[in-house]
Amino acid sequence: MGYIYAIIILGGINIIAVLGVAILTCYTGLFSIGHAGFMALGGYMSAIMVKEFNIPFPFALIIGGTFAGLCSFIIGYPAFRSRLRGDYFAIATLGFSESIRLLLNNTKTIGNITLGGAFGYMNIPSHTTVLAVIVCVILALYFAHMFVTSQYGKNSISVSQDEVAAQMMGVNLMKTKMIALFISAFYSGVAGGLLGFYFAYLSPSFFSITKSSDLLAAVVFGGIQSLIGPFITAFVLVAVPELLRSFAEWRLIIYGFLFVIVMIFRPQGLLGYVEINMSFVRVFWNKLFHRKAKTQEG
Amino acid sequence: MSDEILSIKNLTVDFGGVRAVNNVSLTLNKGEFIGLIGPNGAGKTTVFNLITNAIRPTAGQINFKGKSILGKSPDQICRLGISRTFQNIRLFPQMTAYENVELGLHSTPKYSLAEAFIRTPRALRVEANARKRAHELLEMVNLGEHVNARASSLPYGLQRRLELARAMATSPDLLLLDEPAAGMNEDECKDLINLIRQIHTTMRYAMIMIEHHMNVVMDLCQGSRIYVLSLGSLLATGNPAEIQSNPDVIKAYLGERKR
Amino acid sequence: MELFIQQLVSGISIGAIYSLLAVGYALVYSVYNFTNWAFDGFMAFGAFMAFLAISSALEAPFWVAALISIVLTVLLAVTSEKLAYSPLRKRKAPRLFMMISAMGVNLAIVNLINLFFGGTFRKFPVDNLQPIFIGNVSVGRMDLMAGAISFGVLALLWLFLYRTKWGLGIRASSIDILTASLMGINNDAVALIVFGITGVLSTTAGIFFGIKYAVFPMMGLVTIKAMIASIVGGLGSLPAAILGSMLLGILETLVSGYISSTYRDLFSFFFLIVILLFFPNGLMGKSGDEKL
Repeated sequence: MGYIYAIIILGGINIIAVLGVAILTCYTGLFSIGHAGFMALGGYMSAIMVKEFNIPFPFALIIGGTFAGLCSFIIGYPAFRSRLRGDYFAIATLGFSESIRLLLNNTKTIGNITLGGAFGYMNIPSHTTVLAVIVCVILALYFAHMFVTSQYGKNSISVSQDEVAAQMMGVNLMKTKMIALFISAFYSGVAGGLLGFYFAYLSPSFFSITKSSDLLAAVVFGGIQSLIGPFITAFVLVAVPELLRSFAEWRLIIYGFLFVIVMIFRPQGLLGYVEINMSFVRVFWNKLFHRKAKTQEG
Repeated sequence: MSDEILSIKNLTVDFGGVRAVNNVSLTLNKGEFIGLIGPNGAGKTTVFNLITNAIRPTAGQINFKGKSILGKSPDQICRLGISRTFQNIRLFPQMTAYENVELGLHSTPKYSLAEAFIRTPRALRVEANARKRAHELLEMVNLGEHVNARASSLPYGLQRRLELARAMATSPDLLLLDEPAAGMNEDECKDLINLIRQIHTTMRYAMIMIEHHMNVVMDLCQGSRIYVLSLGSLLATGNPAEIQSNPDVIKAYLGERKR
Repeated sequence: MELFIQQLVSGISIGAIYSLLAVGYALVYSVYNFTNWAFDGFMAFGAFMAFLAISSALEAPFWVAALISIVLTVLLAVTSEKLAYSPLRKRKAPRLFMMISAMGVNLAIVNLINLFFGGTFRKFPVDNLQPIFIGNVSVGRMDLMAGAISFGVLALLWLFLYRTKWGLGIRASSIDILTASLMGINNDAVALIVFGITGVLSTTAGIFFGIKYAVFPMMGLVTIKAMIASIVGGLGSLPAAILGSMLLGILETLVSGYISSTYRDLFSFFFLIVILLFFPNGLMGKSGDEKL
């Protein structure tokens, strides 16, 4: 039973982080391979809040998420101001997350807080329970849905489809992208916090480029402009490697080949353009059993 | 003076040594409809791009409603009341017709970010109003039946109309139409003329239209002016009859055909 | 002063390695409009193949090993273009898809290397060369060689692009690939050549990087630096890529020499942010106005 719980908790945490990436990547068209960095920032921050300042766990998660969100402006502002092209924004995020990891690796103490550098931040109180994760996942999904269907979310979608036209129609690109980035980093920060309160310690090595690749994989397989697609794949991608231990070392290799295969045969992902409501079940059914030749996305 | 909505003075832009627009001046009054014509490569679209600041001018002045709009970002300019369509249609391809129009309505969101997460009754009311308005605009351009069609799946002619509705959704005071009749046959052109005339009379926008179909321009600009650009410079200004009999204009067009 | 000159030479050699990578990116980008993320994997693959050729039963001499690894990496690069990019290119898929596909190729290559060889750091098997003394200043022979050969390779590339018929074809394709193909340039051949060149560039960079530091599966992460360098220089042009690379290489080495080697990578990233704040289009870049 404990094993199942572990999968639910890790799967749930992954879902929250992936929803964050989905808001940025699938809805705003900004590619990030550095969300592990935001997870680390949020994780360390919320752990410090609880362990050193005795702030209640839910508030600590919110503080951690907000901290990650604010830090995202460090790359967001210069990158969006210079209208960095998609691939190069991805580089900037990767550089950012590697910098965070490096910084944590070399920070033994801040004031009288012992962060432990590469050895990790120890003795974080365990607060992450199955219930807490389920509550967080439900809230995360609900708020993500509210955001992407709001006027703000639709502006994000327009930016992802044609940035120039969106701006000509009055969309403030900087503001729209910053909002999406903030929310996305907030989600990752909360996920990082939950991770720390589950393992009872945090190590910079949790937040390597591998973690970012995992998040990206869930989004690519799940589908663009869909929350439910990445939701499903985020869980599956945690559960399957956990259940098939021997498969673990092949995981990233298979992801790699799948990236190529998905792009060639089904670029919109598993459930691309499917919004959350009950009709997704029907759509999913149709897609599985009545495969129509679909035209590619333009 | 109070009637003047747009005034362009000595507008010039260079693209790496090539003068794409040279010393162009143009004025437009509230609610006026003018045409902008000229052979290919005359710099017509560039003028639109300069007005909406997709390109920065090398020299010159652009005043809108009496204030300079130079250096303002395209979205600020849109909010001030200038909207446009594009020569090569630029809709949001994966969004429905309805969503495309709706975007024009709320490109500046009408409720706070907090209200986006917890839809307050006020936010819901705002959305309902936008929905109603979007449907009205779609009806106006005769796209009532295609509300939920994906923009990319619409036929070419309807995409042009959708772009028009989206531009109208930003409630502009000045509407720039970039070759709205491109690629249309005679019948479609007639429908379009009627539609644009109807929009102009009901919405009272000031409008500038770039067009290659001469009958469309001559028809819509009756009682108004046409500006002719050639190789970046203003060649002639006048009413349709004057333009049609102007030897310079004829030469510019024939010159192009000969090439 | 001696220290400064040593650092400078070391910085130039690193800058030269970055240049190889940055030019590779810029080349693919200028023709195909996407960043070939798999570069990272090619580089590690090239270094590992050279490593194997020398340290396995083959015991190949250095130059032979380098040649073998270049041939193998070129084959890999060309295969990946055929399997992962060509189908997308043919149906004019958005750049984003090309980019994801490239990321996939990269994930697969890097992790396959990791699976077969393990994540350990290996010393590249070359003899410890005595440093050269110029006055009081000792200069690493390998640094000089890395710098010289890298620039040699870049010079050859320049000659190829500007002095041969095929080079002309590639340059024409980078301006307008569709028109180029209408004018009788074989797109597939151009693709094979371009990706072949990237194979050569990344292997050369991989071998020198391996000699300077170590050979390990994640060594390709250094390609981030090359990308940062090409943003710093200004996107889309080969000279700008080289300028950015040299600048980054030198500054970085000075930082690690005089401040701390730990914060070298941190410095590169903040350097990027500062450049973007003050030169939004990079040092030599022009603003990329999109055609409406």
